[in-house]
Amino acid sequence: MKFGVLTAFAMTAVAAFVGTPLPAAAQLKVAVIENLSGPGSATNRLFAVGMKNGLTLVNKAGGWKGQPIEYLEYDSQGSSSVAADKVRAAIADGAHILVSGGSSAVAGQIVEDVRKQNLRNPDRRVIFMNVGAEASDFTGEKCNFYSFKYAMNAEIRVKALVTAMKAAGALGDRVFSINQNYSWGKDMEAAITRYAGPMGYTVVDKVLHDVSKVQDFSPYVARIKSSNASTVITGNWGSDLILLVKEIGASGLKVQLGSTFLELPGTLSSAGASTLGYYTADFYLPEAGGAAAKALFDRYKAIAGTLPTTSEVKSVVMAQMLQAALANVELGPKVDTTKIALALEKAKVQTPIGEISMRAADHQAAVPLVVSVVSKDASFKVDGTDMGFKPVKVIPGPEAISAVQETCKMDRPS
Amino acid sequence: MDFFVVSLLNGLSYGLLLFMVSAGLTLVFGMMGVLNFAHSSFYMLGAYFGYSVGRLTGFWPALIVAPLGIAFLGALIERYLLRPVHRHGHAHELLVTFGLVFIIDELVKLLYGNYPLKNPMPVELSFSAFRLFGLDYPFYRVFIALVAIVMFGAILALSRFTRVGLIVRAAVRRPHMVEALGHNVPMVFLGVFAGGAALAGLAGVVAGVFYPTGPSMAQELGVIVFVVVVVGGLGSLEGAFVASLLIGIFSSFAVGVNWTLADAFALVGVAGADLWGGAFTVKLSTVAGAIPFVLMFLVLLLRPAGLLGERQ
Repeated sequence: MKFGVLTAFAMTAVAAFVGTPLPAAAQLKVAVIENLSGPGSATNRLFAVGMKNGLTLVNKAGGWKGQPIEYLEYDSQGSSSVAADKVRAAIADGAHILVSGGSSAVAGQIVEDVRKQNLRNPDRRVIFMNVGAEASDFTGEKCNFYSFKYAMNAEIRVKALVTAMKAAGALGDRVFSINQNYSWGKDMEAAITRYAGPMGYTVVDKVLHDVSKVQDFSPYVARIKSSNASTVITGNWGSDLILLVKEIGASGLKVQLGSTFLELPGTLSSAGASTLGYYTADFYLPEAGGAAAKALFDRYKAIAGTLPTTSEVKSVVMAQMLQAALANVELGPKVDTTKIALALEKAKVQTPIGEISMRAADHQAAVPLVVSVVSKDASFKVDGTDMGFKPVKVIPGPEAISAVQETCKMDRPS
Repeated sequence: MDFFVVSLLNGLSYGLLLFMVSAGLTLVFGMMGVLNFAHSSFYMLGAYFGYSVGRLTGFWPALIVAPLGIAFLGALIERYLLRPVHRHGHAHELLVTFGLVFIIDELVKLLYGNYPLKNPMPVELSFSAFRLFGLDYPFYRVFIALVAIVMFGAILALSRFTRVGLIVRAAVRRPHMVEALGHNVPMVFLGVFAGGAALAGLAGVVAGVFYPTGPSMAQELGVIVFVVVVVGGLGSLEGAFVASLLIGIFSSFAVGVNWTLADAFALVGVAGADLWGGAFTVKLSTVAGAIPFVLMFLVLLLRPAGLLGERQ
């Protein structure tokens, strides 16, 4: 297989040599490996769309010192084994940077493949930029010098969420934790439990359930009721969140709800008025960013035709981080990924809601968060409803970031 | 006590919804021998048709029109896709319906977009039926249950006590004899398939306003309706009824149960099993979704024909 990859790479190089006159400097290629056709691709593909448009914006703004950055796209179909094939294909096609975000399972595969690639091919190292996969072990046990995490994690989200809810007097003191039974949900449950003491609440009950399989959430609502909780905190997304919120609404149960994915397209429209007054914590909300956010949105709309969703904004900002890093890397006949990685550690971008920077110790980005509440007074309405997200509190990146995990042992280039 | 009653009611209403979706599947299998993989796709299409028609006419006409639309679609599929491959055997029919699942999935995404739709419940049904231990019991759950029970009664009466039912049952047993008596057997099968599709469509219209109407609807129920049909006995309507209630109630109760394997060990005198970790500390509520499959496994092991299925 290694031979195959090398041959394919050599052939691409030869083809490039014969076909077109070589530019003075090698072109940087960014390959997005994302779920474009599998289950859940509706939400996951937004990261790819955002990256494509983000790189278009970056190239309009001069690219890498005047040279455009090339965008490549591969379909992981949401499966890690397919993703592994696509990583090989992308590297064979000459990609220097891999990007993914939709799934922690797929991202975990890419992290591992990148580690092996870099170990075996020191002259052909690649970088992984993780835009949306939030499992915390990417900056723990699996942390790696060539792997950069711009996604948040459960601890960052929960910390921001409960801090802001407490400040707004919406937290209550009896919390019910309901999450999906996989790495993300387990991370969420651990984080909710961890912040109980510092934030002065008790976790009265916690439950994990199957992902996207539960059709009827009424038994869970009965359990929330019998626990006498004042607040439900959940990391659920997609139908698991919609059904939970709808069911709470239908039962007339009076609880507050804190979540992390209410802003995904289709959630507010489908869950309806039950969501009013509920909290969510995420990286970006247009209303919190004011005029600067509106300018970014307009620029995006000019090339994409639609306003960006939060996932797309995450990709755009990550593309800007890449451009900021490349400003400090010289163009050369060969792309030096180690130099780019070193520059990525120092890159900073001023977003409309605050600065984003990268922590060198474990490659977790310090991302500012907006905690917001679903309201009819929001200036940006969502999904064609009369509701939107009203910012409650903006938490700057350095304050939001979680502590470096002890399990992270990073080999840095000497 | 509170929890028991609430869980029982929730389990019943969910079970009855499962029955509504699986009734058509088991009917079509019982009568035609076709295991229709695309059955839950008809359910999804029903929700989407209901949404489209409902926007023009309101919910009640959609409740009639959308299932008829699905029945028509089912008839077309039987006539032009299934019938030509029928003579090649069941495997081919199975593959045709399997392919249909993907085509319908993609068509729905193309026509209606990738995200769940705003498909609100009709106002006249959106109220609380009664209040139980501090929780409202939505009337719509009662409505779902009523529709399912009426459906069960109607199908049973139709197949047992009417001439149509008689001919259909005869056409299953002795197609050539029925044909010789002057009945159009292919037409009978077409009608059965269309009827099965219409039942799924009706379930879709009813469920679509309560659960999200989205492109993953078919996938979410796709497997579980097969479990219902297998547990109940392939082709047995009464079996499907019993199985869906069982699965609904089991899943509902499992959510509230925090037992672990370690607790079971402790019961028989082996203390400290929770220290072994791993599978011993997984709570039953966490694996609630697996219960229908455990049930299916047990039924297949102990009574392969299903609870009320006929032994082959």
